Amino acid sequence: MNHSLLSRWLLLGEWQAHRLQIVVALIAIALGIAMGFSIHLINTTAVNEFSAAVKSLSGQSDFQVRATQPTFDEMLYPVLAQHESVAVASPMLEIQAAIPAKLEDDRNNTLKILGIDVYRAITITPDLVGVPAEGRAFDMLSDDAIFLSPAAMEWLEVEQGDKLSLRLGTQTVTLRVAGGLVRAHAGQRIAVMDIGAAQWRFDHVGLLSRIDLKLKQGVNHPAFKAALEEELPAQYLVTETVDQERRIHNMSRAYRINLNVLALVALFTGTFLVLSTQVLSTLRRRPHFALLRVLGLTRNQILLQILREGSLIGIVGSLLGLGLGYAFAATALHVYGGDLGGGFFPEIKPAIQLRPLAALLFFVLGVSVTMLGSLMPAWEAAQAHPASALKSGSEETALAKLRTPWPALICLLLAAILTQLPPVVELPLFGYFAVALLLIGGIAWMPSLTALFFSGLFRIFNRLTAGALTTLVLARLANAPQQAAIALGGVLVSFSLMVAMAIMVASFRISVEDWLTHILPADIYVRTVVRQDALGFTPQEQQAIAATAGIERIDFIRSLQITLDSARPTVTLIARPIDQADPGHTLPMTDNALSPTEIPLDAIPIWVSEAMVDLYDYQVGKRVALPLSEAQQDYIVAGVWRDYGRQFGAIQMQLSDYQKLTGEWHVNETALWLQAGVAPEEIIAALKALPFGESLTFWQPNAIRAISLKIFDRSFAVTYLLELIAVGVGLLGVAASFSAQALRRVKEFGMLRHIGVTRGQIYRMLALEGGLLAGFGIIIGFLLGGSISLILIFIVNPQSFHWTMELHPPWQWLLIMALTMLMAAAVTALLAGRRAVSGNVIRAVKEDW
Amino acid sequence: MYKLVSLLFLWLTSLGMLVAAPPVYTPVTPRALVFPEDLGAHENFRIEWWYVTGWLEAPDQQPLGFQVTFFRPTTEHAEDNPSRFAPKRLIIGHAALSDPAVGKLLHAEKSAREGFGLAYAKAGNSAVKLDDWYFIREADGRYRTYAAGDNFVLELSFTPTQPLMLQDLDGFSRKGPKSEQASYYYSEPHLQVSGTVTRDNRAIPVKGSAWLDHEWSSEYLDPNAEGWDWTGINLDDGSALMAFQIRGKDGKKIWAYAGLRDPSGRMTIFQPDEVSFHPVRTWRSPHTDAVYPVVMRIKTRDIEWKLEPLLDDQELDARQSTGAVYWEGAVTVTRDGQPAGRGYLELTGYDKALSM
Amino acid sequence: MKNTATLELRGISKAYANGKQVLSDLSYTLAAGEYVAIMGESGVGKSTLLNLIAGLDTPDTGEIWVDGVALSAKDDEAATSLRRRHFGFVFQAFHVLPHLTLLQNVALPLLLNDLPLDRAQQMLVAVGLQGREQDFPRHLSGGELQRVAIARALVHRPRLILADEPTGNLDPDTAQEILQLMRSEIKANGAAGIIVTHSQAAAATADRILLLSKTGLQPLISHQHV
Repeated sequence: MNHSLLSRWLLLGEWQAHRLQIVVALIAIALGIAMGFSIHLINTTAVNEFSAAVKSLSGQSDFQVRATQPTFDEMLYPVLAQHESVAVASPMLEIQAAIPAKLEDDRNNTLKILGIDVYRAITITPDLVGVPAEGRAFDMLSDDAIFLSPAAMEWLEVEQGDKLSLRLGTQTVTLRVAGGLVRAHAGQRIAVMDIGAAQWRFDHVGLLSRIDLKLKQGVNHPAFKAALEEELPAQYLVTETVDQERRIHNMSRAYRINLNVLALVALFTGTFLVLSTQVLSTLRRRPHFALLRVLGLTRNQILLQILREGSLIGIVGSLLGLGLGYAFAATALHVYGGDLGGGFFPEIKPAIQLRPLAALLFFVLGVSVTMLGSLMPAWEAAQAHPASALKSGSEETALAKLRTPWPALICLLLAAILTQLPPVVELPLFGYFAVALLLIGGIAWMPSLTALFFSGLFRIFNRLTAGALTTLVLARLANAPQQAAIALGGVLVSFSLMVAMAIMVASFRISVEDWLTHILPADIYVRTVVRQDALGFTPQEQQAIAATAGIERIDFIRSLQITLDSARPTVTLIARPIDQADPGHTLPMTDNALSPTEIPLDAIPIWVSEAMVDLYDYQVGKRVALPLSEAQQDYIVAGVWRDYGRQFGAIQMQLSDYQKLTGEWHVNETALWLQAGVAPEEIIAALKALPFGESLTFWQPNAIRAISLKIFDRSFAVTYLLELIAVGVGLLGVAASFSAQALRRVKEFGMLRHIGVTRGQIYRMLALEGGLLAGFGIIIGFLLGGSISLILIFIVNPQSFHWTMELHPPWQWLLIMALTMLMAAAVTALLAGRRAVSGNVIRAVKEDW
Repeated sequence: MYKLVSLLFLWLTSLGMLVAAPPVYTPVTPRALVFPEDLGAHENFRIEWWYVTGWLEAPDQQPLGFQVTFFRPTTEHAEDNPSRFAPKRLIIGHAALSDPAVGKLLHAEKSAREGFGLAYAKAGNSAVKLDDWYFIREADGRYRTYAAGDNFVLELSFTPTQPLMLQDLDGFSRKGPKSEQASYYYSEPHLQVSGTVTRDNRAIPVKGSAWLDHEWSSEYLDPNAEGWDWTGINLDDGSALMAFQIRGKDGKKIWAYAGLRDPSGRMTIFQPDEVSFHPVRTWRSPHTDAVYPVVMRIKTRDIEWKLEPLLDDQELDARQSTGAVYWEGAVTVTRDGQPAGRGYLELTGYDKALSM
Repeated sequence: MKNTATLELRGISKAYANGKQVLSDLSYTLAAGEYVAIMGESGVGKSTLLNLIAGLDTPDTGEIWVDGVALSAKDDEAATSLRRRHFGFVFQAFHVLPHLTLLQNVALPLLLNDLPLDRAQQMLVAVGLQGREQDFPRHLSGGELQRVAIARALVHRPRLILADEPTGNLDPDTAQEILQLMRSEIKANGAAGIIVTHSQAAAATADRILLLSKTGLQPLISHQHV
């Protein structure tokens, strides 16, 4: 009873006296937890919603049969339907139709329409069966009816009975909204209509996208799969529905894990700040704990008291963090969608779900991290010899152990070794470990490095007989650097992360800009509204475009998605005229390529993106097979080009080769070079006047570039935000530790004032001290951040996204950041010192706390 | 067999608009039926069905009742849709088994669009397929059918013992006061049944006698019709009786008909005013609360028939698929108080009207 | 005599960590209620001796008995509880917890010993700080702070007060005032006291003055204070 009263007194007394430190510790924990929790929430929400949505699309099926190309001949359907092992075969045609009303925004303006046979789908994918209006049961078979999920209705702002215009290729189709898909997953934008109507209305007669299979009872699934794969021609893929989910996971995995790592880094930064505030606060109170020990508090009671205080901060901070994280996640999901602008889950607008287990996990994490931060200094304080700990200035002895640089050097060495290791399950885990070790090593090295640096500086300046103030400052920094180093840790962590991200993002952005310039050489690009496979410009339409006056040169481009591995996302195949003598004219080639004479005559050359090399081992010179034609045909990898657009891989080939192989004459896109003196607007006007001109969209390279960079910036917006928060917290940590130290130095300042140092000089001294320390932290942070950025650019990015980039440090921006940070630290130190200096001079000398 | 008509009703009213090329249905006008052509499907009519009911005898078991129906509705889906999937015509199958030992009707249903050889109703001869279900007329005139549900399988063949029974005006059967309210309708009574009924993975050989109806139409019911009562009876002396009445929303008779064919093949046709249905006992369904006159007295001129059900609960709840709830059951029949034969009774339109 | 002895030192020896021998084979017995001053040159081991008595440090050889109980500093738990119950401390640097009120500071030993808290108020009155209970230490002068320390040292009626240069940070007038207060309060509470000091004036307030030298602990002057 009395002990709990004591503990409350101590706690309240301490907190009232050091509100700033408490607030900083709370903010640090709260932000760390908030960042980790929100990104976790966003990721799990997005992935869960997406896979639930996909699950409701694949329903109860055991297998799905697709083709390597997006569609295939419907005559496979009766074959499978009558297969002896198949109970139900449900044919489906997937259409991505454009919404003319939504064309302003180039992304996510398509609606996925599933053409289903309601009588087959009802047993396998009951969620996809529309609910017609009362008394209109047969709308599910109607040739003009479409059923929309609630999210799609909301998005399209239509209701049952309204008309909906859709565009596919050069045609416009108007359908009647006949009802809803009540069981569609929340947030999922999807539409369903009769398969016969869909084939007809969207000009896909004779084609299917997939067939869902439900097997008869007792059929062995692996054996069935093997047998069916044997029976079917090579271009068909039989995937177990379970694989489907794995594939979705794979699709966004690298992105999600990178975000998670970012969250962990945030949590780490938060943790470090908590640790440093707790260490400093406990150190400051070392004499108080010694007194309590003398008065009769046992070691365990001291330890418990410190832990109790730490856990309280941890609990409050973590709770705050959970709330903040939830709010942040909800906002981010609302503003950016489930992939934070990454573009992986375009059809889903997930609503946030509270996950009690995750919340508990992050809560426990936050509390234990705080406890851990308190435990180490608490242990030291409890074990300290009370008699000597009572004397002021004993804190530095407590920290003396930190001076040994070896653990830090080992961390750094280990980091260097880890950078040489290959990815683990296609993730740059060792790269991340290296980043973490670099940070830890950098922080751990700070005390000894600070001592080394400032004592060196001290010696130099002493010899130069610098001014008294400078000498004082340097003497202090050289002799009592440990606490300063701990305070600096926060700046170091946040600044180095900021530097790392800035260098990485800038390098990436410049590389993307260069790439965009390279891949968009023409003056105008013309597309049909949506680049639907199998559809696009017919040869007649191509001729009509080519016949337009004022065009210097015209390239037709055919692109489609093909599946090479059913467990991976699709690969983009792009067929277009390529300058075989120098593919670098057409593609942003890396140095890795065959010379034209090395391409054998019997193989068709293809140029692959970097991802293809990593994911499919398409090495230059390798002969590979592609599922483009029935006939056996060798392809040879003639070169590797850089692609920031498609991280799952892309292949380019000559359009003439593609057309010869497939007999497919549609193209999706047209690149136009104009004759000198012809304005793009004239050509656009001329093309719009064509019979199918209504359905054309025109892009000029600068517009594409602008949109691409906008998307790029948007996907990094969250990163910027996280970094800014981390820096803010780092500065707060500096403020808190400076002010704590300044208060403890009241006596020193009093003495200085006694011997005739003016208040202004003390301020200058404080600012100089803060500036010197921060400057040193910034230099080290620069080095550390630079190293981390190299890991991010040359290890993490290629290993997780399969693209390389060139290093482009944004010097100007880095300099501005450094100066800002320096100023902020100096001002912080000054402000923190004011309170200490303004006190009673006489009193200050006499008192000892 | 009439059960789908209600469903068709919904559908006709639902498809008034925006049809690219609505199908043009052939009107039903008096004409002579032509065989074998008229045994097959008539795809230009809005609705058509083949409907077999009957009683089965199994060794050491009580008698069973069964029903197998294949409907072939033509939808209003645009005729010019070139897609093979275009659902212009559907095939819908219903099968039911009445077993007093179970105490209620076992039933199964299946639907598909015509196409890809998976589901069809062929012209020229009775040949209907719906995945693994089928109803086929062989060259020698025998029929074979197969229908499987979750808890029973019917695999039966029917051998004709009598000529076709053309209803009403040589197969032109009026259904209402207006001349266009009619169907083409022939029956084949006294079919000799053999085959197996599979229950709990055990195939039981069965024998019995059955009744086939084949009917097709484009416009059928009077808009004021609420439901109908129908029966088809194989009489022990070799005679066959078919009778129905169409009830109006006021519960009164809108139209009625009965045809009685004696063993020698002489057909007696009863006019609407000569046929009357009188409920004797009702049964309230515990599933839907509908009240059905499961014991029915039918008067055809001076003959009085009384129909008693094999079991009361022969209600078929197909609201999930076709929206219809009806009673369709095996009955025994007395003629003027004397046991006279066995057949089937169908009662529709009782769920909504009577449950209120 | 063991029963009445508050403190008994038996052959205490102690060397610093650097090997310098400070105390060797030191023996002394302090009777209950006795108030002695220990003087000596700097570095002779006065503070070390106090730390040993307080159980904050362990002698290399010898035994320390407090109230008939052998103090074993190896058992920190036991030493701590002995210290908590039987000792009161007054330091040169006051050592008052800055974030607790005067009343809370004085009440600390009561809390630690599970004693009723009302005596803290009485002690504050006794040291002349009535009405200042809710003040924080930062509002107090050095002399006032040392009064708080004295009140805290005596509030739980310890058997022995250990004072290490209690007036070292005070001006002579205040120092004299504090010494008198300390003596009278020690006597009023029936405690024994050891004051370690450089100051003759301070030492003079004790019953006896002992001189700590390399040779041991010898009475300097037998001085009877009435």
